[in-house]
Amino acid sequence: MSMKEMLLELREKALADLEAAASSQELQELKVKYLGRKGPMTEILRGMGKVPAEERPKIGEIVNQVKQTLEQCLKDRTEILRAEALKAKIANDKVDITLPGRKPAGGHLHPITLTNREIKKIFMHMGFDVIEGPEIDNDYFNFEALNLPKDHPARDMQDTFYITDNFLLRTQTSGVQARTMQSKEPNTPIRMISPGAVYRNDYDATHSPMFHQVEGLVVDKNISLADLKGTLETFCKEMFGNDVKIRLRPSYFPFTEPSCEVDISCVICGGKGCNVCKHSGWLEILGAGEVHPNVLEMSGYDSSKMNGYAFGMGVERIAMLKYGIDDLRLFFENDLRFIRQFR
Amino acid sequence: MLASIAWLKRYVDIDVTPEELAEKLTRVGLEVESVIHQGQGISGVVTGKVTAIEKNPKSDHLWVCQMDYGSGEIVQIQTGAQNVKQGDIVPVATLGAELPNGMKLKKIKMADVYSYGMLCSAAELGIDNKLLLPEQREGILILSPDTPIGKDIKEVLGLNDTVLDIDLTANKQDCFCMTGIAREAAAVLGKTLRMPDTSVKEAAGGDVHDMLSVAIEIPELCSRFTGRALKNIKIMPSPDWMQNELRACSVRPINNVVDVTNYVMMELGQPMHAYDYDTLTGHALIVRRGKVGEHLQTLDDQDRELTPDMITIADTEKAVGLGGVMGGLITEVTDKTTTVILEAAAFNGPSIRRTSKALGLRSEASMRFERGVDIANCHRALNRAAHLLEEMGACETVCGIADAYPVPYKPAVITVTPETINTRIGVAIPKEEMVDILNRLQFAVKEENGSLVITAPTWRQDVTCDADISEEIARMHSYDKIESHNPELALRQGKEDPMEEVKGEAEDYLASAGLDEVMTYTFIHPSFVDKMMLKADDARRSVIKLMNPISDEFGVMRTTMLPSLLNTAAYNLARQAESVKIFEVGRVYLPKSLPLTDHPEERRMIGAVMSGRRNALNWTSGKDSVDFYDMKGVVEGLLEKMQLADYELAACEETYMHPGKSCVVKAGGKQIGYFGCLHPTVAASFDVPEETYVLELELAPLAESALRVPQYTHLAKFPGTSRDIAVVVPKNVTMQELESVLRANAGELLQGIRVFDVYTGKQVAEGCKSVAFNLTFQAEDRTLTDGEIDPIIKNVVEKVAEAYAAELRK
Repeated sequence: MSMKEMLLELREKALADLEAAASSQELQELKVKYLGRKGPMTEILRGMGKVPAEERPKIGEIVNQVKQTLEQCLKDRTEILRAEALKAKIANDKVDITLPGRKPAGGHLHPITLTNREIKKIFMHMGFDVIEGPEIDNDYFNFEALNLPKDHPARDMQDTFYITDNFLLRTQTSGVQARTMQSKEPNTPIRMISPGAVYRNDYDATHSPMFHQVEGLVVDKNISLADLKGTLETFCKEMFGNDVKIRLRPSYFPFTEPSCEVDISCVICGGKGCNVCKHSGWLEILGAGEVHPNVLEMSGYDSSKMNGYAFGMGVERIAMLKYGIDDLRLFFENDLRFIRQFR
Repeated sequence: MLASIAWLKRYVDIDVTPEELAEKLTRVGLEVESVIHQGQGISGVVTGKVTAIEKNPKSDHLWVCQMDYGSGEIVQIQTGAQNVKQGDIVPVATLGAELPNGMKLKKIKMADVYSYGMLCSAAELGIDNKLLLPEQREGILILSPDTPIGKDIKEVLGLNDTVLDIDLTANKQDCFCMTGIAREAAAVLGKTLRMPDTSVKEAAGGDVHDMLSVAIEIPELCSRFTGRALKNIKIMPSPDWMQNELRACSVRPINNVVDVTNYVMMELGQPMHAYDYDTLTGHALIVRRGKVGEHLQTLDDQDRELTPDMITIADTEKAVGLGGVMGGLITEVTDKTTTVILEAAAFNGPSIRRTSKALGLRSEASMRFERGVDIANCHRALNRAAHLLEEMGACETVCGIADAYPVPYKPAVITVTPETINTRIGVAIPKEEMVDILNRLQFAVKEENGSLVITAPTWRQDVTCDADISEEIARMHSYDKIESHNPELALRQGKEDPMEEVKGEAEDYLASAGLDEVMTYTFIHPSFVDKMMLKADDARRSVIKLMNPISDEFGVMRTTMLPSLLNTAAYNLARQAESVKIFEVGRVYLPKSLPLTDHPEERRMIGAVMSGRRNALNWTSGKDSVDFYDMKGVVEGLLEKMQLADYELAACEETYMHPGKSCVVKAGGKQIGYFGCLHPTVAASFDVPEETYVLELELAPLAESALRVPQYTHLAKFPGTSRDIAVVVPKNVTMQELESVLRANAGELLQGIRVFDVYTGKQVAEGCKSVAFNLTFQAEDRTLTDGEIDPIIKNVVEKVAEAYAAELRK
């Protein structure tokens, strides 16, 4: 058998063995067996001395080819076996994706807080400062400074919780109007809202003795009812969506003149008429008006130079419309099954 | 205020539907809450005469009536009522008739006798019992004998009328009557207002001044007092039309004199009173203050003690009435009365309001006086009443009106330019339209130098300044025509009270830490101070009490957040909540002194309660309950979020806390809050489990650090190194103590100490615990080597051992 034939036979045998190897360990052994220093290749090369000198380069070339072929095959087989092993491992490595996850336990904010924040955000973007006032206030700020003298029939509009003859739980956030004006130099322009809890002695399915309002006040030069309408329209569209329409209805508040109630087109039925809007297509959401000259004067503002508008809205009312809540009592029962629905 | 459409039609032509009228009135400021169609569900009920009546022999209570209701035949109808007589005219529900309760009439047989219909009571026709005379409330409704037969009962009883229920705002005193509403309707509909006939025949002749003197001693409380004398009074029922209209407006007909005073009040807004002339000593009516110790028996048969604050009407000897509130019993008009004095007056609103409130006597009259009546209306009211009674043939009127009117009323005159009005409303209404609107509302307008000089009508005492004129013009012009406009103000972002910003941050943190926010009533039951076992001298026992709470449940303002939160926790635990973790950032109300003479402190507090399972039930977490370290973790996280690093914890001595499992939080040497486990007794009082953890923390001390902008410190350039050690020390050694020993001895390279295991059990000696730490070391300028760290560790362990006879665990 010629040297060449031996080399080719070795190649065929080695390739067959490599092909048959089932693990990377076997491949390693075959590598040592065929390509190692003590392997058959070395044995064959020992016979090189008997090969005529002119044939030696040719044989050398064949040796290199066989070596390369075997090394390449070894490499390919190693890669294939590794891929197969990984595949087999992954095939057995499985989780039940339908088991619940380890969810970080997040809590929930109360819907009144969420609504309050949204109202504040909208008005702050329009340049309104947010000012807080005391919940326990005196007769002067809650009533008198708002053009509601003692024994005025309009005091019937609000059932007041009294603490003494003078101190009371504020019935409205409007008291912050006078407080704010009196805290400033006369005739300083004002743009503010004041959110907070208010109290009225009324407790049934549709009245809570504590609830939340947001008061608004703008005092400047030439602030008109049209400006009020524009501001509130912007607010309502931000709050309830661009399709919402607003309308003003004449009404009465002692501290505004002219006064109005503000209705929005029903957010439930879009104005077609439903139970929520009592088939009118409109929902009353806030009261407003031009600041009464007496209110400005009592707080040291010159009503011939300055005027303004004021408004007040019920936060629960807005939250109910926003979230589709049909029972006012839910807000203060604090059933966690209720609270946990909001985020 | 109820307004019958039929009644309004006496003064204005209404050519729109009641619903359209309601909408139009609402849009000018008279909010119509509902439109009530009377007599709904009634059909086939007619008037019929009982031509014969006999007892059904087989029954002890049924009567067989032969009825003529104009159908051309006599119809047999049985009734169980006992008040029907032959000749009576009554409502007959004929076969097929429908009644408001849904009943449909069929032929029926009762006690062997057929009945072809039913005689009706008032209740069966849907008429409120309160609006009927006592004798009309039982049995079949007997109609007046001159009622024609065969007529639709709805027509006869005015049940085809529609009534508007108007929610009158406090400023619309001018619309507290039919003519007032009609005036608005006329202005809106562009119609003419027809005022009622006030002509008086004065057939009795004479002069009222020879019979009666009137005087006002207190012009500050009574600006006008007028009287008219009516002779030969015949007390009888008022005519059906008047009764029907009164009932439609929820006023009960009584007799002609009372009905007329009520009718005129409803019609013109002027309350009236009638006196029996012969009971007035000295034939005088004097308006004065009540005298101390003076008593008056009022019409409701109550003895009233008068005070000088009360407007009292008196004759020369005694009080005869509380002006504007209620008359006296002695001078009441009765069947025996022959001469009546009618009173129309204008009393001071606030005074009437105080008196009626003090006596619990709010009436249709007092409510009108409270808001203010039209002082020019007194004569009109007296004349209208006399006219109506004359028309009934019920009296002869004496000539003249006795009138005490010390200071004639001057209507408000307002000068304003159209520009001022347009600027306030934000519109461009032409001057001519303004004048037209004002004229329609019966304001007198003159033009002077480009200004409008406007005289308000006497019934518009609410109009005092140009803002009021603006409202009249805006509402009649229509608010819908005001175009939205954005105020021309400088662009800027609004600012918030910093404390509110901090509140928001705290809320966000607590929610992210797994707590749910609740919102509780700030008034609570006063028993909380005892349930919390507060010491006798605890400032939180000084609670602000409400004078008129809804109930004890809401009796006092809270001085701590805990009770509201514990009640909320109990509420939820009782509803199978397996875990309650709640918080509220709210206010507590701390008086400087009681009773309150100054504004109390409204301190903002963070309150939280945790009870029940630590985690929602899940296959990866255990069923452990919350413990001290859950609450402590929340507090640590919150303070970290608020960037308050410099605080310390100390033993808590609050009576309502578990002494071994609670602590106070101090910052700047001052206590700012506490947290831990509730005292078991307190937990039981609030119906929460023993292992309930609470937190209360003042918000204000956190405010300063919370809003600080964090400043960057550079990151270490060289790697640090860490070592774990474990020491065995006596059980009572605290982590804080161990840590201070470690810090004192580990040198400057020590950066962090973390505890990763605390163990007590078999492998450590009795009374000891093993504490395992991870210590991290870091140098600014080099990588640390074992050669540097090993001696430090050795030293630290030795020092701990020295301090506590501790040993390094192998």
